[in-house]
Amino acid sequence: MNWQVKVAIGLVAGAVVGWFLYEIRGILTPFVFAFVLAYILYPIIDWMERRGLGRVWSTLLVFSIVFAGLGLGAFKVGDKLTGETVDRVFTIANTGDKLLIIQEMAWEDDSREQPFVLREEHRWPLGIAPREELAIHLRFVPKDHAPAANALLIAYSQGKDEYSQRISVHGNSGAVAGSQAVGKSGSVVFSRADVVFGKADPNVLVEIGDSILTETSARASSIEPMLQPYLGSDFRLAELIREHGERLMKTMLGGTTMFIEGVISGLTFAVIVPFVAFFFLKEGRRLTRCLIALVPNAYFELCLNLMHQANKQIGNYIRGQLLAVLVVSVLSISGLSIIGVYYALPLGLLAGLANVIPYLGPLIGIVCSSIVALATGGGLAMVAKVIIMFLIVQLIDNVLIQPTVVAKSVELHPLVVLFVVMVGSQLMGIVGMLIAVPLTGIVKVSSQTIYEGVRQYRLR
Amino acid sequence: MPSNPLWRHVFRRLQERVRSGRKEEESSTCRLLKKVPIFQDLSGRELHKIEEMLYGPRNWRAGETIINQGDPGMGMYIVVSGQVRIAQMGDDGFEKQLATLTRGNFFGAQALVDELPRSASAYALQPCRLLVFCRPDLLELLENNTSLALKMVEGLAQMISTDVPELIKKFSVQLHTPERLLKGARRAGNIQ
Repeated sequence: MNWQVKVAIGLVAGAVVGWFLYEIRGILTPFVFAFVLAYILYPIIDWMERRGLGRVWSTLLVFSIVFAGLGLGAFKVGDKLTGETVDRVFTIANTGDKLLIIQEMAWEDDSREQPFVLREEHRWPLGIAPREELAIHLRFVPKDHAPAANALLIAYSQGKDEYSQRISVHGNSGAVAGSQAVGKSGSVVFSRADVVFGKADPNVLVEIGDSILTETSARASSIEPMLQPYLGSDFRLAELIREHGERLMKTMLGGTTMFIEGVISGLTFAVIVPFVAFFFLKEGRRLTRCLIALVPNAYFELCLNLMHQANKQIGNYIRGQLLAVLVVSVLSISGLSIIGVYYALPLGLLAGLANVIPYLGPLIGIVCSSIVALATGGGLAMVAKVIIMFLIVQLIDNVLIQPTVVAKSVELHPLVVLFVVMVGSQLMGIVGMLIAVPLTGIVKVSSQTIYEGVRQYRLR
Repeated sequence: MPSNPLWRHVFRRLQERVRSGRKEEESSTCRLLKKVPIFQDLSGRELHKIEEMLYGPRNWRAGETIINQGDPGMGMYIVVSGQVRIAQMGDDGFEKQLATLTRGNFFGAQALVDELPRSASAYALQPCRLLVFCRPDLLELLENNTSLALKMVEGLAQMISTDVPELIKKFSVQLHTPERLLKGARRAGNIQ
């Protein structure tokens, strides 16, 4: 067979395989995840095997620990997230036969220990017709799950009489039901009709973003009159923030939510990933031997060499990045908690993950945390604290972590970083932005290794 | 175990065949490995472990190049069957045959120690089956199973120390190859 025929057959076969992989890409996702998981755990299993534990037992042990940890982590994080955004619906029923008017609803003590927002905008006073009820949707951010020291105060009147009702606000537990007689003709019933937990699904991102946006635009509307004399009366800062913020959120979070929802769709994923990863870990060696057996003799040593080199480089890169993410996340979460920023956990995690993006990553952490600090009632002093905290974390990261864990060979040009991050965000939202740089790093390392390797061999 | 006597019989025979076949193959590979100096001090269990780490046996057609002089070496080859010719490009620019290897012989062990280019080429004289043991696997053994690896390294050191004068000669040959090629070509009358 002459070489043209061989090349043609190779190209056709490649195209068919490529097309096939593209068609089944949905099924491939758990396999890719399993591969990455196995790749990360491989050295740990090796280490345990070295200590005399069998491969299967090491794998099972590590899996139990990792999945118990992940489960507990997901539970805790979910719990924390739901704890940080609790939605409550209070139903106030007018059981009397006169109009009930609710005049105000505020924290009894306005130190705003527990910031809250009303989800629906109401115009005070609220009127409730006889034999009707009104649901008031309230979202608040308890610092922990303990009952709030601060109580919600509702003042209302029926006829000429004025009353007030205190409702103590709890975190995820505790009831706020109660009723109080109103005059002679009826009573008002406060019932906790519904507790909408923040839901530990990706939507929680959108919900958090939404509440932050509401707060920010409310704050902006208060300074609007100060700006209007200079910028014209049709300058509406609040509307601008609302409009642009929503669009930004949609582009940044929309894709992510869809992506994550697609990935976590159902039990299949949760079952397939550990199952496949287990076999990758147990049979990894046999698998690579099977693949190598398919390689023609002329390229056998070349492939062996490339596989070994790429494996070493990529392994180091992935493990280094993971370590960096872990350290920066932990530092950021602790820092944010110490200076008292709300949503310290998701913000710290975001800052840690974003840190894999050179140049832009640290900025993302600072900007997001500053916005949240402003929106949840912290002043400019808080923003300054946030910035100083992140500068310290960056200093630690750049001086101690990056030089030791991330290899010089994967340094990317700032323009390349910008480009791939934009491509990533276009394709997969925030998740795309986060995985774009490591993915490019892996591609760079592999192609470098392959190029160096091929140059050394005299190909036949 | 099936309850039907016929099937039980078939099943048992199959099991026996599989068992005996596997045992035979294992022992033949292990016996082969025992002949290689660097594996000769290993116990049966250790040999079995090495067997799992080997690539192959891979098949080469008659006349095919197995390794090329000058390529980076990745590991050693053990001949299971067939004949292998080891040849080196001499200082006169002509290839000189160094050895012909058969079952139980090995070549390329130098690559287990360093990443220097191959000092000779190997060609399949007949259809060959070869086992391959790679440097990364030896390094992994050194890390994970030190006692096993030490036995091998001892054998390897012994083998290499006896080859040192030969080795020095090989390297000096390699360093001067272009000039010597030219000299050889001049002598052959191709270049003035």
